[in-house]
Amino acid sequence: MAFSTIFGAWIAAFLTLGILSYLYRDNPFYKIAEHVFVGVSAAYWAATFYWTQIYPNLFGRLFPKDGPLAFIAEVDFNHDFNILYLFPLLLGIMMLLSIFRQFNWMARWGIAYTVGIAAGLKAYGYLSSNVLSQISASAVDIFGGTLPIFSMSGDSVFNNIVILVGTISALMYFYFSREQTGSYGKFTRLGIYFLMISFGASFGFAVMGRISLLIGRFNDLILFSSPDYNYGTYWMMLFIVVILGFWSFQNPEKKEG
Amino acid sequence: MRYLEDMILKLGSVDRRYIFLLIGLAVLIPLLRPIDLPIRTTPTTEKVYKAIQEIPANSKVLMSFDYGPSTKPEIHPMTLGVMRQLLREDHQIYITCLWPDGLYMALDALEEINQEFELVEYEDYVLLGFRPGNEAIVKGLASDLRKVYTVDYKQTMLADIPMMDGVNNLKDFQFIFTGSAGYPGTFEWVQYGGDPTGVPLSSGTTSIQVNEVMPYVQSGQVRGILAGMPGAAEYEKLIGTPGIAIQGMAAQSFAHLVIVLFIVLGNLAYFITEKRERKY
Repeated sequence: MAFSTIFGAWIAAFLTLGILSYLYRDNPFYKIAEHVFVGVSAAYWAATFYWTQIYPNLFGRLFPKDGPLAFIAEVDFNHDFNILYLFPLLLGIMMLLSIFRQFNWMARWGIAYTVGIAAGLKAYGYLSSNVLSQISASAVDIFGGTLPIFSMSGDSVFNNIVILVGTISALMYFYFSREQTGSYGKFTRLGIYFLMISFGASFGFAVMGRISLLIGRFNDLILFSSPDYNYGTYWMMLFIVVILGFWSFQNPEKKEG
Repeated sequence: MRYLEDMILKLGSVDRRYIFLLIGLAVLIPLLRPIDLPIRTTPTTEKVYKAIQEIPANSKVLMSFDYGPSTKPEIHPMTLGVMRQLLREDHQIYITCLWPDGLYMALDALEEINQEFELVEYEDYVLLGFRPGNEAIVKGLASDLRKVYTVDYKQTMLADIPMMDGVNNLKDFQFIFTGSAGYPGTFEWVQYGGDPTGVPLSSGTTSIQVNEVMPYVQSGQVRGILAGMPGAAEYEKLIGTPGIAIQGMAAQSFAHLVIVLFIVLGNLAYFITEKRERKY
C-alpha cells in the first residue's frame, strides 16, 4: 500500500480519536481536530468555488479567447464574451470590500442582490411545492370507493381520517385568536399530541442518524487497525491515551459547585 | 423494593461517560463479530425500487451526490445500490453534486462500482462534478444545463462528450435520484427540479431528514424514500447485493436497545424521585 494512503489513514484515525476524546472532556486533541477541520474546510471551499465556478463561468465569459478583454487574460471555455458578467464581478468585489471600514457600505449592494434573488427563488419554490402541492395532496376522498377500512401502511379510510383530524387539530393549536378552553381546547390538545408524536419520531430518527455516523467512524477505525495500515488506529489510540492521561494528571477536572 | 428503587436511582444518575462507553461497545462489538438480523422491507423503500425498475431501458438518469464524508455511512450504500440497479438495466448515469465533497463521494462510488461493471467513462456515465449555488444550480439545470456546466469534473468540454448530445436540461432525463444529507438536497430537487419539470424523482436521505421529506413521498412528489441506514439495508436486500448497510444494522439495533434501556431507567428514576419528595 502507498505511503500516502497509510499516512492519510493514520491522520484520519488521529482526528477521529481526537474528536471522540471530547466525550471524556475538552482537551488539546479535540481542539487540534476541531481547528484543523475548520481551517481545511474553509480553504477547500474557497479553492473549489474559485476553480469550479468563478474561473470557468465568470472569467470564462469575461476573458474568452478572441474576446475584447483577451489582452488582459485568456480563459478559454468555449464561451462568448458577455459584458453583463461584469455586474456579478463588480458585486463580488463590493462584497469583499466590507473588510475596509470606509467602503463597507458597498457590501450591502451585493448582499441585497443575493438576498433578493434568494427570497424570490425560495418564495416560488415553497409556494408551489410546499403549499399548493401539499394542500392538494391533503385534500383526499376520505371514503374513496375502493379503499380498505384499515391498513397498517398506505391509503385506507382509517388513515385518511387520522390525517384529516391530525392536520386540522394541529393547525388549530396555532390559532391564538380564541381562548383554548372547553371542547375547542380539548380538540387543540389533540393537536398537541399529534405534534408530540411527530417530534418523537423526529428524535428517534435523529438518534438513528447519529448511531449510523458512529458506525461509519468505527468501520474506518477497524479498517485502519489492520496490518495493511501498520495498525494505525492502535498506535494513535496509544499515543492519545498516554498523552491525555499525562495531561489529565497535570490539569485535574474542576468539580462544579 | 426499596433496594431496587435505590439501584434505579443510582443508575439514573450514572456519569454520562459510562453511557457513552456502553453505547460505544454496543456499536463496536456487532461490527467486530457480525450478527445476521432479518431485514424487512418497508413500502417507501419498495417504491424507490419499483420506480427505478419502471424506467424504460437505456434511459438517461441523473444522480446527484448531495452529501459528504460525515454522512457517508448512511447515504453511500444507497447511491451504490441505485447505481447497481441502474447499470444492470443499461441506463446511462449523469452525476452532479450540490455539495463540494459530493464529488469525492461520487469518485469513490464509481471506483467501487467499476470493479463489478467495468464502466466506460462517457459511455456508461459522465461525472459533471460540483457547482456552487445550491437551489440556483437545480433551477439552472431545469432551464439550461449547459449554462451551469460548461465542462465536466475533468475540465472536458461538454460539447466533446458524445453522451451529452441531446442533453440540455432536466426534461431530457427519465429519472432523477438524489442522495441527500441536508441543504441543498431533496427539498431543492423537489421544488426546482422534480415539480417544475415533472421528471420522476426519488431520494435517499439521512435519518434526520426523513420526517420532513415524508410529506413529499405521501403526496407523490417524491417516488419513495430510502430512509437512513435501515432504508439503505432494505434496498441492498431488494437488489440482492448485501453491503455495509446490512452489516451495520446489528450495531444499530443494539445501540438502540441500550438507548431505550437508559430512557426507561431515566424515567423510572424521575418518577421514584418525585414519589419520595412527595412522601417526605
